[in-house]
Amino acid sequence: MVLGLLIAVGEMLSPGTYVNSQFTWLHLAGSPGTFPNGVSLVVGTLVDPLSALLLLVVTVVGFLVMLYSIGYMHQDRGLPRYYAELSLFLAAMTGLVLSNNLLEFFLFWELVGVCSYFLIGFYYEKPSAASAAKEAFLVTRIGDVLFLLGIFIYFYHFSTVGPSGGWAANGFVFANGTAPYLPVVSGSGSTLLTVAGLMILGGAAGKSAQFPLHVWLPDAMEGPTTVSALIHAATMVAAGVYLLAITSVFIGFTSTDQLAIVAIGGFTAFFAATMAVVHPDIKRVIAYSTISQLGYMVLAVGAGFAMVGLYHLFTHAFFKALLFLAAGSVIHAIGTQDLFKMGGLRKSMRVTSAAFLIGGLALAGIPPFAGFWSKDDILGAVYSQLGSHPLYWPFFLLAFAAVFLTAYYIFRAWFLAFSGDHTRDPTLPHAHEGPWVMQVPLVILSAFAVVAGLFIFLPNFQALLLNGAGATGIPPVYGPTDLALSGISVGLGVAGIGLAYWLWGNGRVYALPEDSPLQSVRKVLLHRYYFKVAYDWVGLRLVYGISRGADFVDRYVIDGTVRGLERVFGSVSNGLRRAQTGAVSDYAGYVIAGLLGVFVLLLIVAPYLLSKMGGG
Amino acid sequence: MTGLPVADLLVLSGALLAVGIFGLLTRRNFILILIAVEVAMNATILNFVYFAAFAPTAAGLSGQAIAVVLIGFAATEVAVGLAIVLALNRIKGTINVAQATELRE
Repeated sequence: MVLGLLIAVGEMLSPGTYVNSQFTWLHLAGSPGTFPNGVSLVVGTLVDPLSALLLLVVTVVGFLVMLYSIGYMHQDRGLPRYYAELSLFLAAMTGLVLSNNLLEFFLFWELVGVCSYFLIGFYYEKPSAASAAKEAFLVTRIGDVLFLLGIFIYFYHFSTVGPSGGWAANGFVFANGTAPYLPVVSGSGSTLLTVAGLMILGGAAGKSAQFPLHVWLPDAMEGPTTVSALIHAATMVAAGVYLLAITSVFIGFTSTDQLAIVAIGGFTAFFAATMAVVHPDIKRVIAYSTISQLGYMVLAVGAGFAMVGLYHLFTHAFFKALLFLAAGSVIHAIGTQDLFKMGGLRKSMRVTSAAFLIGGLALAGIPPFAGFWSKDDILGAVYSQLGSHPLYWPFFLLAFAAVFLTAYYIFRAWFLAFSGDHTRDPTLPHAHEGPWVMQVPLVILSAFAVVAGLFIFLPNFQALLLNGAGATGIPPVYGPTDLALSGISVGLGVAGIGLAYWLWGNGRVYALPEDSPLQSVRKVLLHRYYFKVAYDWVGLRLVYGISRGADFVDRYVIDGTVRGLERVFGSVSNGLRRAQTGAVSDYAGYVIAGLLGVFVLLLIVAPYLLSKMGGG
Repeated sequence: MTGLPVADLLVLSGALLAVGIFGLLTRRNFILILIAVEVAMNATILNFVYFAAFAPTAAGLSGQAIAVVLIGFAATEVAVGLAIVLALNRIKGTINVAQATELRE
């Protein structure tokens, strides 16, 4: 943690510092046709502006969550397991951030995935937790396979026809330590590169829970809240965005890829926000909000502003971890996640309430809180690129609409949980703040949620972002470049908060009339657009059907062959068993019979065959 | 080279081998089996010595050398065999090989 901070601070003090050290792990000699230089798989670390930013997030949030866990998990008998898995996760995440080539990146990527699986299934006695863990693992695996295919394509491409320098000799290493980076692909690259870009997008979508692989993240809330805060909000899910960012900076996307990324990001930002609007579970509301915010980051990367996306990742990590930890504090105090049972917690939990409020303001994009700067930056960045493709428009508007929804749903949660006079469910225990180890991280993260956005005004932080942005020809956008745009987005945010207050403020509970046409919309939203049902159906019918077929083949064709052979050999050897009498003279007889057989072969059969062959 | 004709020698050594193998297969007494093996082996040694006489000096010498080595082998073999006989007798109280069938499956 201290080391990470030092590196990040050092990077900020002298931007543009690159440290790249590596060694060859495995060298395969090449063949002249395909890989003339052979294939070197290297392991190395690369510290540059991109990784420094992430390193700061991972270590600071990781440390605070670990501190908070002391209070949150203190009664849990799985505590050693919890800390072991959390530490493994942090190590893997640090490794991922510091990797200097895609293959190494992929290894750590898988490692954080498996840690996520362990930690979602931390309460493995609960069937819902176990199945959520499995779901998360399988869904992200789809993305992982696509990602790996993408790596293969890049590798093939760059080790055969790539430009000279670091690339040609080794398709895996994505940096040779010089700045600014020059993406080697841009505009309308070849079809192969477009496909590779789409594969990378698939991998990122799996890890960052983007549509249509978003289903796992809300279910991942079965894990401890601290895990949700660290892994499923601040760090691991951001790895997908980070992957897109490094790919766009080091390799580059074709314009088709960019459009696809913008589409996925913009749509997800809106789509996930709608689901958060109706959900009664405090953690899941925040989870949908995470998906939505990740959508913003993906949108930014797609529009060509990788560093703007990472800037939002940076601020988001703090305020989203804050929201989760505050929610965890509530859950710790009263033992329920149902918003409709809470209420009036503002009085008994002042620190938590204030922390959640700050997180909510940051999320809603109200200045001067962190979310405002980065979200506005993204909207401004996409706005500046609207001319490059007509299809950017609808996704820009969707992202804009999501601003309103975001403000509404997070304040709906805040009003439901904290405003009013008393809890709605009188059976709940009396709420009280957690121990100091839980309050301190909340306070620190609150401070970050307020000021992290202002970092952009530090010249060195700007330089940090600029350096990583590379020579794409598009400078990163800073702050409210377009005042009208900011005005509209803040207006939407305030309107969302106002609507939330009107419907849910002061302990009010808004009940949608039974005959309202919105009821059916609500139902669809509550069922998450029936995606889970559809996936289950596909899983059950299609995959199970295929598996049944495969099982049949396995059982009767493959196993049948093996069993048949086994039966033949079995009966033969049963016959031969009788020859084992144990009597020495019998064995001597066999030896002599064998010897005679050899003589017969050598002296009679062989000359006969030889004469035949010679004669024929 | 005078004396025994080749055909007579082959008949002699063939007979020795046959006697040896016959004894090996039919005897049940371990010591008699060892003796039968010795007889069969001596057929081989006889062949080596006899045909060595026809060969040029160097090769002939090596034929005789092999015969001497084989005699040494026979001695070691008997030593090992007799050790087994003693052990067998101690365990089973008999040296009848028909009763030593512990290695049966």
